[in-house]
Amino acid sequence: MQQTEIETAFAELVENITGTQPARIDRDLHLDKLGLDSLSKIDLAVAAEDRFGIAIPDEDLERFVVVGDLLDYVHRTTA
Amino acid sequence: MAKTFRIAIVGGGIGGLTLAVALRQRGMEADVYEQAQELAEIGAAVALSANSTRELRRLGMGDALATVSTEPGELIYRNWRDGSRIAAHPVRENMNYQQICGAPYYGIHRADLQRILSGALGGAGLHLDHRLTEIRDLGGAAGLSFANGRTIEADLVVGADGVRSVVRRFITGGDDTVYSGTSAFRGIVPVDKLPALPDPGAIQFWMGPDAHLLHYAIGGNADYVNFFAVVEYPKVWPHAEKWLDSIEPGEAAAAFAGWHPAVVEMVAQHLPVRWGLFGTRPLLNWYRGAVVILGDAAHAMLPHHGQGANTTIEDAITLAELLPGTALDGLGPMLAKYQSLRRARTRKIQRSSWITNSLLHLPDGPQLAERDQRVTRFPEDFGWIHQFDALQTAHDATHTQRHPAPPHA
Repeated sequence: MQQTEIETAFAELVENITGTQPARIDRDLHLDKLGLDSLSKIDLAVAAEDRFGIAIPDEDLERFVVVGDLLDYVHRTTA
Repeated sequence: MAKTFRIAIVGGGIGGLTLAVALRQRGMEADVYEQAQELAEIGAAVALSANSTRELRRLGMGDALATVSTEPGELIYRNWRDGSRIAAHPVRENMNYQQICGAPYYGIHRADLQRILSGALGGAGLHLDHRLTEIRDLGGAAGLSFANGRTIEADLVVGADGVRSVVRRFITGGDDTVYSGTSAFRGIVPVDKLPALPDPGAIQFWMGPDAHLLHYAIGGNADYVNFFAVVEYPKVWPHAEKWLDSIEPGEAAAAFAGWHPAVVEMVAQHLPVRWGLFGTRPLLNWYRGAVVILGDAAHAMLPHHGQGANTTIEDAITLAELLPGTALDGLGPMLAKYQSLRRARTRKIQRSSWITNSLLHLPDGPQLAERDQRVTRFPEDFGWIHQFDALQTAHDATHTQRHPAPPHA
């Protein structure tokens, strides 16, 4: 999957869960700045799993700090 | 739906029976295949929270449940050594929990719950002594083989066969169980054998270094206390297939030496086994073809939110609400909807139960201040678990806004 395609789809998922405008989302944004705590991060992970058809285990999810970490994971795993 | 829609439920535990009863309420029949020769629940007792008692009430079991259950007076968190109250939240008092969550909180013998569920089914479609050995994909249907030599075909197979699910293995192709590195001693004690226990009618967590003990009263007269004492070992579980391990007399008592006398009284009982605490890793897929899983088979979790049985009942209600009106060729989208309604919620509770284990086991020291604040906020922080309405959620997912109320409310 293309990086830009992932970014667009991901921004939609974030908007659905947190209400954050896609324009505000960039790679360096901290996930907790999106208002995501350890549980709402799971909402995002499950939505991303369904959207991209990949598994995002808890232990990987715990390591993601900024938006780019998640995007890179999706890019790697769907490659 | 055509009358020929054949539904096979594998497992006659809480999930399988609830699903069969909920389907029957909706005019659908299902066959339940249970490996045991008689229905006998292991695990002694269970706590039912509002997210499941509201559903069991809708299935017409409210009075039967109330008769054999204990509603705890309070939820209390205590210090492991001196027993001081760290936080307390009213449950039955002032109907506080029911007011907030919309249904009661019950401590109940598992055998009583199973009797009520199987009584509602009246034995219809229940097949004992059927241990599943193989599932075959028949393209649009599934074939099941049992150890007793019988084979059947079904249009939909629901695996309600627990943490060691055979059905899950068919779906995911692997063993998805994870040992937590923690184990538990558990037992049921007559309350008059526990003279040191303050507030015996409460649900209480005794929190200490690397261990905790949870207990609540059960039965119609609150005359028994069910307890569950968790320790942080063994690091590696010694058995491949079993989750029970025999222990030496006094082993449980030794693990809680120096704790408050009430805790010591409980673990001093004859406790012959240790229970390994297992979960499943979060699964990407809960179904394959015409085969789907629910309950522990789909999302086994640590018991620290007391939500294993409760989320299982939610699953069963969700599936039962989505099934009527589904045509044979619409099974795939229906199962996809079921999975999407259930996956995030159960994974959050799984994760939160795991995190809660560490919170309950902190060593004495500066971290306790934050822990104490968190247990003080538990009702607010975890209202989302208890206030959840599985039927309404499934109903909203299948109907337009013109019909806001679920038909079985």
